[in-house]
Amino acid sequence: MSIDFESWADTQAALLGLPIAPEHRPGVLRYLQLVAGMAPRVMDFPLGPADESGNVFVPVAPEDVAEGGAT
Amino acid sequence: MTALNQVRAALARIEATDAKVNAFTAVLAERALARAQALDAAGQATPLAGMPFAVKNLFDLQGLPTLAGSKIEREAAPAARDAALVRRLEAAGAICVGALNMDEYAYGFTTENSQYGPTCNPHDLKRISGGSSGGSAAAVAAGQVPLTLGSDTNGSIRVPASLCGVFGLKPTFGRLPRSGTYPFVASLDHLGPFAGNVRDLALAYDAMQGVDADDPAQARRAVEPTVAHLGRGSDGLRIGVLGGWFQRMANAAALAAVQQCAQALGTDRIVEWPEVDRARTAAFMITNAEGAALHLADLKRRASDFEPLSRDRFIAGALLPAAWLVQAQRLRHWFARQVAASFRDVDVVLAPATPCTAPEIGTEWLEIAGQRMPARASMGLLTQPVSAIGLPVVSVPLWGLDAAQPHLPIGVQVIAAPWREDLALRVAQVLEHSGLARAPKAHGL
Repeated sequence: MSIDFESWADTQAALLGLPIAPEHRPGVLRYLQLVAGMAPRVMDFPLGPADESGNVFVPVAPEDVAEGGAT
Repeated sequence: MTALNQVRAALARIEATDAKVNAFTAVLAERALARAQALDAAGQATPLAGMPFAVKNLFDLQGLPTLAGSKIEREAAPAARDAALVRRLEAAGAICVGALNMDEYAYGFTTENSQYGPTCNPHDLKRISGGSSGGSAAAVAAGQVPLTLGSDTNGSIRVPASLCGVFGLKPTFGRLPRSGTYPFVASLDHLGPFAGNVRDLALAYDAMQGVDADDPAQARRAVEPTVAHLGRGSDGLRIGVLGGWFQRMANAAALAAVQQCAQALGTDRIVEWPEVDRARTAAFMITNAEGAALHLADLKRRASDFEPLSRDRFIAGALLPAAWLVQAQRLRHWFARQVAASFRDVDVVLAPATPCTAPEIGTEWLEIAGQRMPARASMGLLTQPVSAIGLPVVSVPLWGLDAAQPHLPIGVQVIAAPWREDLALRVAQVLEHSGLARAPKAHGL
Protein backbone atom coordinates (compact mmCIF):
# COMPACT_ATOMS: atom_id res chain seq x y z
CA MET A 1 0.00 0.00 0.00
CA SER A 2 1.46 3.35 -0.99
CA ILE A 3 1.21 6.14 1.55
CA ASP A 4 0.15 9.67 0.68
CA PHE A 5 2.47 11.56 3.01
CA GLU A 6 1.06 14.98 2.09
CA SER A 7 -2.43 13.87 3.04
CA TRP A 8 -1.21 12.21 6.24
CA ALA A 9 0.59 15.36 7.37
CA ASP A 10 -2.33 17.65 6.52
CA THR A 11 -4.98 15.49 8.20
CA GLN A 12 -3.10 14.83 11.42
CA ALA A 13 -1.87 18.41 11.68
CA ALA A 14 -5.43 19.70 11.25
CA LEU A 15 -6.66 17.36 14.00
CA LEU A 16 -3.99 18.74 16.33
CA GLY A 17 -4.36 22.36 15.24
CA LEU A 18 -0.68 22.30 14.31
CA PRO A 19 0.24 24.64 11.46
CA ILE A 20 3.12 23.46 9.28
CA ALA A 21 4.94 26.38 7.66
CA PRO A 22 5.82 25.94 3.97
CA GLU A 23 9.53 26.10 4.79
CA HIS A 24 9.19 23.27 7.35
CA ARG A 25 7.00 21.04 5.19
CA PRO A 26 9.70 19.25 3.10
CA GLY A 27 11.59 18.29 6.25
CA VAL A 28 8.45 17.06 7.99
CA LEU A 29 7.51 14.92 4.99
CA ARG A 30 11.04 13.53 4.82
CA TYR A 31 10.87 12.46 8.49
CA LEU A 32 7.42 10.95 8.05
CA GLN A 33 8.78 8.85 5.20
CA LEU A 34 11.74 7.82 7.36
CA VAL A 35 9.66 6.73 10.32
CA ALA A 36 7.03 5.08 8.11
CA GLY A 37 9.83 3.05 6.57
CA MET A 38 10.94 1.93 10.03
CA ALA A 39 7.50 1.30 11.50
CA PRO A 40 6.98 -2.21 10.07
CA ARG A 41 9.94 -3.44 12.14
CA VAL A 42 7.82 -2.68 15.20
CA MET A 43 4.31 -3.24 13.88
CA ASP A 44 5.03 -6.56 12.14
CA PHE A 45 6.43 -8.18 15.26
CA PRO A 46 3.95 -10.66 16.75
CA LEU A 47 3.00 -9.83 20.32
CA GLY A 48 0.33 -11.53 22.39
CA PRO A 49 -2.24 -10.22 24.84
CA ALA A 50 0.15 -10.95 27.73
CA ASP A 51 2.85 -8.67 26.33
CA GLU A 52 2.30 -5.60 28.43
CA SER A 53 3.46 -2.05 27.88
CA GLY A 54 6.92 -0.94 28.86
CA ASN A 55 5.25 2.19 30.18
CA VAL A 56 3.94 1.25 33.61
CA PHE A 57 1.66 3.49 35.61
CA VAL A 58 2.40 3.96 39.30
CA PRO A 59 -0.70 4.80 41.36
CA VAL A 60 -0.45 7.97 43.43
CA ALA A 61 -1.44 7.71 47.10
CA PRO A 62 -2.69 10.80 48.98
CA GLU A 63 0.52 10.94 51.00
CA ASP A 64 2.55 11.08 47.76
CA VAL A 65 1.10 14.48 46.89
CA ALA A 66 2.55 17.48 48.68
CA GLU A 67 0.12 20.07 50.11
CA GLY A 68 -1.34 21.97 47.16
CA GLY A 69 0.67 19.80 44.78
CA ALA A 70 -2.16 18.04 42.94
CA THR A 71 -1.61 19.88 39.70
CA MET B 1 44.01 21.18 48.23
CA THR B 2 41.37 23.51 49.64
CA ALA B 3 37.96 23.79 48.03
CA LEU B 4 38.74 27.41 47.24
CA ASN B 5 41.90 26.50 45.36
CA GLN B 6 40.11 23.75 43.43
CA VAL B 7 37.36 26.15 42.39
CA ARG B 8 39.84 28.88 41.46
CA ALA B 9 41.79 26.38 39.32
CA ALA B 10 38.61 25.25 37.56
CA LEU B 11 37.50 28.83 36.89
CA ALA B 12 40.93 29.70 35.51
CA ARG B 13 40.93 26.66 33.20
CA ILE B 14 37.42 27.50 31.97
CA GLU B 15 38.51 31.09 31.32
CA ALA B 16 41.59 29.90 29.42
CA THR B 17 39.95 27.23 27.27
CA ASP B 18 36.24 27.77 26.79
CA ALA B 19 36.52 30.24 23.93
CA LYS B 20 37.81 27.26 21.94
CA VAL B 21 35.70 24.44 23.39
CA ASN B 22 32.37 26.22 24.05
CA ALA B 23 31.30 23.77 26.74
CA PHE B 24 29.81 26.33 29.16
CA THR B 25 26.66 28.41 28.73
CA ALA B 26 26.89 29.91 32.24
CA VAL B 27 29.76 30.18 34.71
CA LEU B 28 28.72 30.70 38.35
CA ALA B 29 31.98 32.08 39.71
CA GLU B 30 30.53 34.11 42.59
CA ARG B 31 28.31 31.30 43.83
CA ALA B 32 31.10 28.72 43.55
CA LEU B 33 33.71 30.84 45.32
CA ALA B 34 31.29 31.60 48.17
CA ARG B 35 30.46 27.92 48.62
CA ALA B 36 34.12 26.96 48.52
CA GLN B 37 34.96 29.48 51.24
CA ALA B 38 32.08 28.20 53.36
CA LEU B 39 33.15 24.60 52.87
CA ASP B 40 36.75 25.35 53.84
CA ALA B 41 35.59 27.34 56.86
CA ALA B 42 33.38 24.45 58.03
CA GLY B 43 36.41 22.18 57.97
CA GLN B 44 34.35 18.99 57.73
CA ALA B 45 35.50 15.99 55.70
CA THR B 46 33.10 15.30 52.79
CA PRO B 47 33.18 12.53 50.16
CA LEU B 48 33.70 14.93 47.28
CA ALA B 49 35.95 17.34 49.19
CA GLY B 50 35.44 20.56 47.25
CA MET B 51 35.43 18.94 43.81
CA PRO B 52 34.20 21.45 41.18
CA PHE B 53 31.46 20.20 38.88
CA ALA B 54 29.11 21.53 36.20
CA VAL B 55 25.78 20.36 34.80
CA LYS B 56 24.08 20.08 31.42
CA ASN B 57 21.84 23.11 31.15
CA LEU B 58 18.66 21.07 31.51
CA PHE B 59 19.38 20.83 35.29
CA ASP B 60 17.76 23.58 37.36
CA LEU B 61 20.23 25.99 38.91
CA GLN B 62 18.72 28.52 41.28
CA GLY B 63 18.40 31.94 39.69
CA LEU B 64 18.93 30.80 36.08
CA PRO B 65 16.35 29.88 33.45
CA THR B 66 16.71 26.18 32.63
CA LEU B 67 17.57 26.43 28.94
CA ALA B 68 17.61 22.78 27.89
CA GLY B 69 19.71 24.04 25.01
CA SER B 70 16.88 26.13 23.59
CA LYS B 71 16.16 29.70 22.61
CA ILE B 72 12.57 29.35 23.82
CA GLU B 73 13.41 28.56 27.45
CA ARG B 74 15.47 31.75 27.76
CA GLU B 75 12.10 33.32 28.51
CA ALA B 76 11.38 30.87 31.34
CA ALA B 77 11.34 32.08 34.93
CA PRO B 78 14.59 31.53 36.82
CA ALA B 79 14.67 28.22 38.71
CA ALA B 80 13.60 28.59 42.34
CA ARG B 81 16.11 26.03 43.55
CA ASP B 82 18.75 23.62 42.29
CA ALA B 83 17.87 20.22 40.82
CA ALA B 84 17.87 17.34 43.30
CA LEU B 85 21.14 15.86 42.03
CA VAL B 86 22.90 19.23 42.23
CA ARG B 87 21.77 19.56 45.84
CA ARG B 88 22.98 16.05 46.62
CA LEU B 89 26.42 16.58 45.08
CA GLU B 90 26.81 19.86 46.97
CA ALA B 91 25.71 18.18 50.20
CA ALA B 92 28.57 15.72 49.59
CA GLY B 93 31.05 18.59 49.25
CA ALA B 94 31.16 19.16 45.49
CA ILE B 95 30.78 22.72 44.18
CA CYS B 96 28.79 23.66 41.09
CA VAL B 97 30.62 26.11 38.83
CA GLY B 98 28.22 26.35 35.90
CA ALA B 99 25.89 25.08 33.20
CA LEU B 100 26.86 23.24 30.02
CA ASN B 101 25.89 23.23 26.36
CA MET B 102 23.72 20.53 24.78
CA ASP B 103 21.59 19.69 21.77
CA GLU B 104 18.30 21.57 21.94
CA TYR B 105 15.83 19.74 24.19
CA ALA B 106 18.31 16.82 24.14
CA TYR B 107 17.17 15.76 20.66
CA GLY B 108 20.53 15.09 19.02
CA PHE B 109 23.84 13.25 19.28
CA THR B 110 26.26 16.01 18.23
CA THR B 111 25.83 19.27 20.26
CA GLU B 112 25.82 21.31 17.08
CA ASN B 113 23.57 23.89 18.70
CA SER B 114 22.56 26.70 16.33
CA GLN B 115 21.71 29.11 19.18
CA TYR B 116 24.72 28.59 21.44
CA GLY B 117 27.24 27.27 18.91
CA PRO B 118 28.73 23.79 18.64
CA THR B 119 30.67 22.34 21.54
CA CYS B 120 34.00 21.32 20.03
CA ASN B 121 35.82 18.11 20.84
CA PRO B 122 38.76 19.11 23.07
CA HIS B 123 40.95 16.47 21.44
CA ASP B 124 40.33 17.86 17.94
CA LEU B 125 38.46 21.16 17.84
CA LYS B 126 37.11 20.71 14.32
CA ARG B 127 35.20 17.61 15.42
CA ILE B 128 31.96 17.12 17.32
CA SER B 129 31.89 16.46 21.04
CA GLY B 130 28.91 14.12 20.66
CA GLY B 131 25.61 14.74 22.31
CA SER B 132 23.26 15.55 23.57
CA SER B 133 25.41 16.04 26.71
CA GLY B 134 28.31 17.33 24.63
CA GLY B 135 29.23 20.15 27.01
CA SER B 136 29.33 17.68 29.89
CA ALA B 137 31.83 15.37 28.19
CA ALA B 138 33.93 18.18 26.69
CA ALA B 139 34.28 20.03 30.01
CA VAL B 140 35.88 16.94 31.60
CA ALA B 141 38.03 16.20 28.53
CA ALA B 142 39.27 19.80 28.47
CA GLY B 143 40.25 19.61 32.14
CA GLN B 144 37.82 22.40 33.02
CA VAL B 145 36.13 20.40 35.79
CA PRO B 146 36.73 16.84 37.02
CA LEU B 147 33.02 15.98 37.24
CA THR B 148 29.86 16.83 35.29
CA LEU B 149 26.27 15.68 35.04
CA GLY B 150 24.31 14.89 31.90
CA SER B 151 21.24 13.04 30.72
CA ASP B 152 20.85 9.98 28.52
CA THR B 153 17.62 9.12 26.70
CA ASN B 154 19.07 7.15 23.79
CA GLY B 155 22.81 7.52 24.33
CA SER B 156 23.36 11.13 25.35
CA ILE B 157 25.86 10.27 28.10
CA ARG B 158 27.59 7.35 26.37
CA VAL B 159 27.98 8.93 22.90
CA PRO B 160 29.79 12.10 24.06
CA ALA B 161 31.80 10.12 26.63
CA SER B 162 32.99 7.91 23.76
CA LEU B 163 33.83 10.75 21.38
CA CYS B 164 35.52 12.97 24.00
CA GLY B 165 37.41 10.17 25.74
CA VAL B 166 36.00 10.35 29.27
CA PHE B 167 34.20 7.95 31.60
CA GLY B 168 30.41 8.15 31.79
CA LEU B 169 27.78 6.30 33.81
CA LYS B 170 24.18 5.85 32.73
CA PRO B 171 22.56 4.22 35.76
CA THR B 172 19.55 1.90 35.67
CA PHE B 173 16.35 3.60 34.50
CA GLY B 174 14.61 4.98 37.57
CA ARG B 175 17.67 4.77 39.85
CA LEU B 176 18.41 8.51 40.22
CA PRO B 177 15.73 11.17 40.73
CA ARG B 178 15.03 13.50 37.83
CA SER B 179 13.45 16.22 39.98
CA GLY B 180 14.34 19.70 38.85
CA THR B 181 15.43 18.77 35.33
CA TYR B 182 13.88 19.56 31.96
CA PRO B 183 12.50 16.29 30.49
CA PHE B 184 12.81 14.99 26.95
CA VAL B 185 11.12 11.56 26.90
CA ALA B 186 9.80 10.57 30.32
CA SER B 187 9.69 6.88 29.30
CA LEU B 188 13.42 6.84 28.57
CA ASP B 189 15.20 9.71 30.37
CA HIS B 190 18.13 8.88 32.68
CA LEU B 191 20.58 11.18 34.50
CA GLY B 192 24.19 10.37 35.29
CA PRO B 193 27.78 11.57 35.80
CA PHE B 194 30.90 12.00 33.65
CA ALA B 195 34.40 11.95 35.17
CA GLY B 196 38.06 11.50 34.39
CA ASN B 197 38.30 8.22 36.33
CA VAL B 198 36.05 5.43 37.58
CA ARG B 199 36.48 6.26 41.26
CA ASP B 200 35.17 9.82 40.82
CA LEU B 201 32.28 8.43 38.78
CA ALA B 202 31.39 6.02 41.59
CA LEU B 203 31.84 8.64 44.33
CA ALA B 204 29.44 10.99 42.56
CA TYR B 205 26.98 8.20 41.79
CA ASP B 206 26.90 7.05 45.41
CA ALA B 207 26.32 10.62 46.60
CA MET B 208 23.33 10.98 44.25
CA GLN B 209 21.47 7.78 45.14
CA GLY B 210 18.33 7.65 47.27
CA VAL B 211 14.63 8.17 46.94
CA ASP B 212 13.39 11.71 46.29
CA ALA B 213 9.73 12.28 47.07
CA ASP B 214 9.57 14.96 44.38
CA ASP B 215 10.09 12.40 41.59
CA PRO B 216 7.07 10.11 41.21
CA ALA B 217 8.74 8.13 38.42
CA GLN B 218 11.81 7.14 40.43
CA ALA B 219 12.12 3.51 41.54
CA ARG B 220 11.80 3.16 45.31
CA ARG B 221 15.21 1.45 45.72
CA ALA B 222 17.43 1.55 48.78
CA VAL B 223 20.84 3.19 48.40
CA GLU B 224 23.33 0.59 47.13
CA PRO B 225 26.83 2.09 47.48
CA THR B 226 29.48 1.07 44.95
CA VAL B 227 32.77 2.71 45.95
CA ALA B 228 33.59 0.14 48.61
CA HIS B 229 33.22 -2.66 46.02
CA LEU B 230 35.35 -1.15 43.26
CA GLY B 231 38.48 -2.99 44.31
CA ARG B 232 36.89 -6.43 43.99
CA GLY B 233 37.92 -6.64 40.36
CA SER B 234 36.36 -8.90 37.77
CA ASP B 235 37.30 -12.29 39.26
CA GLY B 236 34.27 -14.53 39.31
CA LEU B 237 32.28 -12.35 36.95
CA ARG B 238 30.97 -13.92 33.75
CA ILE B 239 31.71 -11.47 30.96
CA GLY B 240 30.61 -11.60 27.33
CA VAL B 241 30.72 -9.53 24.16
CA LEU B 242 27.49 -8.57 22.40
CA GLY B 243 27.34 -9.96 18.87
CA GLY B 244 24.93 -9.45 15.99
CA TRP B 245 23.73 -5.84 15.66
CA PHE B 246 26.48 -4.56 17.96
CA GLN B 247 29.18 -5.94 15.67
CA ARG B 248 27.44 -5.32 12.34
CA MET B 249 26.88 -1.61 12.98
CA ALA B 250 30.42 -0.77 14.11
CA ASN B 251 33.53 0.33 12.23
CA ALA B 252 36.96 -1.22 12.73
CA ALA B 253 38.05 1.11 15.56
CA ALA B 254 34.92 0.36 17.58
CA LEU B 255 35.31 -3.39 17.11
CA ALA B 256 38.99 -3.22 18.03
CA ALA B 257 38.17 -1.35 21.23
CA VAL B 258 35.76 -4.06 22.34
CA GLN B 259 38.20 -6.79 21.33
CA GLN B 260 40.97 -5.24 23.43
CA CYS B 261 38.67 -5.02 26.46
CA ALA B 262 37.55 -8.62 25.99
CA GLN B 263 41.16 -9.78 25.84
CA ALA B 264 42.07 -7.84 28.96
CA LEU B 265 39.11 -9.42 30.76
CA GLY B 266 39.93 -12.90 29.45
CA THR B 267 36.73 -13.58 27.54
CA ASP B 268 35.89 -14.65 24.02
CA ARG B 269 32.26 -15.42 24.78
CA ILE B 270 29.71 -13.95 22.38
CA VAL B 271 26.24 -13.06 23.70
CA GLU B 272 23.37 -12.54 21.26
CA TRP B 273 20.31 -10.47 22.10
CA PRO B 274 17.28 -11.09 19.87
CA GLU B 275 15.58 -8.46 17.73
CA VAL B 276 17.93 -5.60 18.61
CA ASP B 277 17.05 -3.64 15.49
CA ARG B 278 13.34 -3.78 16.35
CA ALA B 279 14.06 -2.61 19.93
CA ARG B 280 16.11 0.27 18.62
CA THR B 281 13.30 1.22 16.27
CA ALA B 282 10.83 1.10 19.15
CA ALA B 283 13.02 3.53 21.12
CA PHE B 284 13.25 5.79 18.06
CA MET B 285 9.46 5.91 17.72
CA ILE B 286 8.79 6.41 21.45
CA THR B 287 11.31 9.25 21.46
CA ASN B 288 9.85 10.89 18.38
CA ALA B 289 6.23 10.73 19.58
CA GLU B 290 6.73 11.54 23.27
CA GLY B 291 9.25 14.30 22.63
CA ALA B 292 6.93 15.93 20.11
CA ALA B 293 3.92 15.73 22.42
CA LEU B 294 5.91 17.46 25.17
CA HIS B 295 6.61 20.44 22.92
CA LEU B 296 3.34 20.51 21.00
CA ALA B 297 2.17 23.85 22.39
CA ASP B 298 5.37 25.60 21.29
CA LEU B 299 5.41 23.74 17.95
CA LYS B 300 1.98 25.24 17.29
CA ARG B 301 2.87 28.77 18.37
CA ARG B 302 6.50 29.25 17.43
CA ALA B 303 7.99 26.39 15.44
CA SER B 304 10.53 28.75 13.87
CA ASP B 305 12.16 29.26 17.26
CA PHE B 306 13.18 25.59 17.46
CA GLU B 307 16.60 24.27 16.47
CA PRO B 308 16.56 23.78 12.69
CA LEU B 309 18.37 20.44 13.03
CA SER B 310 15.55 18.88 15.08
CA ARG B 311 12.42 21.03 14.46
CA ASP B 312 11.04 19.07 11.50
CA ARG B 313 11.62 15.79 13.35
CA PHE B 314 9.66 17.12 16.31
CA ILE B 315 6.76 18.18 14.08
CA ALA B 316 6.70 14.80 12.34
CA GLY B 317 6.69 13.06 15.72
CA ALA B 318 3.44 14.80 16.63
CA LEU B 319 1.76 13.20 13.61
CA LEU B 320 2.43 9.50 14.32
CA PRO B 321 -0.44 7.03 14.82
CA ALA B 322 -1.12 6.15 18.47
CA ALA B 323 -0.98 2.41 17.73
CA TRP B 324 2.70 2.76 16.73
CA LEU B 325 3.57 4.22 20.11
CA VAL B 326 1.62 1.59 22.04
CA GLN B 327 3.16 -1.29 20.08
CA ALA B 328 6.63 0.23 20.51
CA GLN B 329 6.16 0.28 24.29
CA ARG B 330 4.98 -3.34 24.28
CA LEU B 331 7.88 -4.45 22.10
CA ARG B 332 10.26 -2.67 24.44
CA HIS B 333 8.92 -4.71 27.35
CA TRP B 334 9.18 -7.94 25.35
CA PHE B 335 12.83 -7.11 24.56
CA ALA B 336 13.58 -6.33 28.23
CA ARG B 337 12.32 -9.78 29.21
CA GLN B 338 14.48 -11.54 26.61
CA VAL B 339 17.59 -9.65 27.70
CA ALA B 340 16.84 -10.29 31.38
CA ALA B 341 16.82 -14.02 30.62
CA SER B 342 20.24 -13.71 28.95
CA PHE B 343 21.66 -12.21 32.15
CA ARG B 344 21.08 -15.56 33.92
CA ASP B 345 24.22 -16.79 32.14
CA VAL B 346 26.37 -13.67 32.16
CA ASP B 347 27.02 -10.76 34.55
CA VAL B 348 28.45 -8.10 32.25
CA VAL B 349 28.46 -7.63 28.47
CA LEU B 350 30.57 -5.34 26.29
CA ALA B 351 29.64 -3.42 23.17
CA PRO B 352 30.96 -0.39 21.29
CA ALA B 353 29.52 2.93 22.49
CA THR B 354 29.63 4.58 19.06
CA PRO B 355 30.06 3.10 15.57
CA CYS B 356 33.10 5.30 14.93
CA THR B 357 35.30 8.06 16.34
CA ALA B 358 34.20 11.72 16.28
CA PRO B 359 33.29 13.06 12.82
CA GLU B 360 33.96 16.65 11.82
CA ILE B 361 31.38 19.28 12.76
CA GLY B 362 28.81 19.57 9.98
CA THR B 363 29.20 16.00 8.73
CA GLU B 364 25.95 14.83 7.12
CA TRP B 365 26.78 11.27 6.05
CA LEU B 366 29.07 8.55 7.34
CA GLU B 367 30.07 5.14 6.12
CA ILE B 368 29.34 2.62 8.84
CA ALA B 369 30.15 -1.01 8.18
CA GLY B 370 30.05 -0.36 4.46
CA GLN B 371 26.69 1.43 4.47
CA ARG B 372 26.10 5.14 3.85
CA MET B 373 24.23 6.35 6.92
CA PRO B 374 22.98 9.76 8.20
CA ALA B 375 25.76 10.88 10.52
CA ARG B 376 23.81 12.53 13.33
CA ALA B 377 21.22 9.84 14.02
CA SER B 378 23.71 7.03 13.53
CA MET B 379 25.88 8.00 16.48
CA GLY B 380 23.26 6.37 18.72
CA LEU B 381 22.86 3.09 16.83
CA LEU B 382 24.66 1.09 19.52
CA THR B 383 23.47 2.90 22.65
CA GLN B 384 19.76 3.17 21.83
CA PRO B 385 18.87 -0.53 22.23
CA VAL B 386 20.52 -0.57 25.68
CA SER B 387 18.84 2.52 27.14
CA ALA B 388 15.53 1.37 25.63
CA ILE B 389 15.45 -1.21 28.43
CA GLY B 390 17.15 0.88 31.09
CA LEU B 391 20.27 -1.20 31.72
CA PRO B 392 23.15 0.38 33.70
CA VAL B 393 26.20 1.16 31.55
CA VAL B 394 29.65 2.59 32.12
CA SER B 395 31.29 3.97 28.99
CA VAL B 396 35.08 3.60 29.11
CA PRO B 397 37.43 5.38 26.66
CA LEU B 398 40.18 3.68 24.63
CA TRP B 399 42.73 5.36 22.35
CA GLY B 400 44.75 4.96 19.18
CA LEU B 401 42.41 2.49 17.46
CA ASP B 402 41.31 4.63 14.50
CA ALA B 403 44.13 4.18 12.01
CA ALA B 404 43.25 7.39 10.16
CA GLN B 405 42.75 9.44 13.34
CA PRO B 406 44.94 7.87 16.03
CA HIS B 407 44.59 10.89 18.32
CA LEU B 408 40.87 10.24 18.83
CA PRO B 409 39.23 8.12 21.54
CA ILE B 410 36.36 5.67 21.25
CA GLY B 411 34.23 4.22 24.02
CA VAL B 412 33.17 0.73 25.06
CA GLN B 413 29.90 0.14 26.87
CA VAL B 414 30.25 -2.03 29.99
CA ILE B 415 26.67 -3.20 30.50
CA ALA B 416 25.14 -4.99 33.50
CA ALA B 417 21.69 -6.25 34.47
CA PRO B 418 19.28 -3.73 36.02
CA TRP B 419 20.37 -2.41 39.44
CA ARG B 420 23.91 -3.83 39.07
CA GLU B 421 25.78 -0.57 38.55
CA ASP B 422 28.31 -2.04 40.99
CA LEU B 423 29.34 -4.74 38.49
CA ALA B 424 29.68 -2.34 35.56
CA LEU B 425 31.80 0.00 37.68
CA ARG B 426 34.02 -2.87 38.92
CA VAL B 427 34.74 -4.04 35.36
CA ALA B 428 35.31 -0.46 34.22
CA GLN B 429 37.89 -0.01 36.95
CA VAL B 430 39.66 -3.23 35.95
CA LEU B 431 39.95 -1.82 32.41
CA GLU B 432 41.20 1.49 33.79
CA HIS B 433 43.79 -0.15 36.05
CA SER B 434 44.98 -2.32 33.16
CA GLY B 435 45.93 0.91 31.38
CA LEU B 436 43.57 0.29 28.47
CA ALA B 437 40.87 2.76 29.48
CA ARG B 438 41.93 6.26 30.43
CA ALA B 439 40.77 9.84 30.15
CA PRO B 440 43.75 12.17 29.63
CA LYS B 441 43.05 15.90 29.58
CA ALA B 442 43.34 17.46 26.14
CA HIS B 443 46.64 19.15 25.34
CA GLY B 444 47.19 22.41 23.57
CA LEU B 445 43.96 24.21 24.33
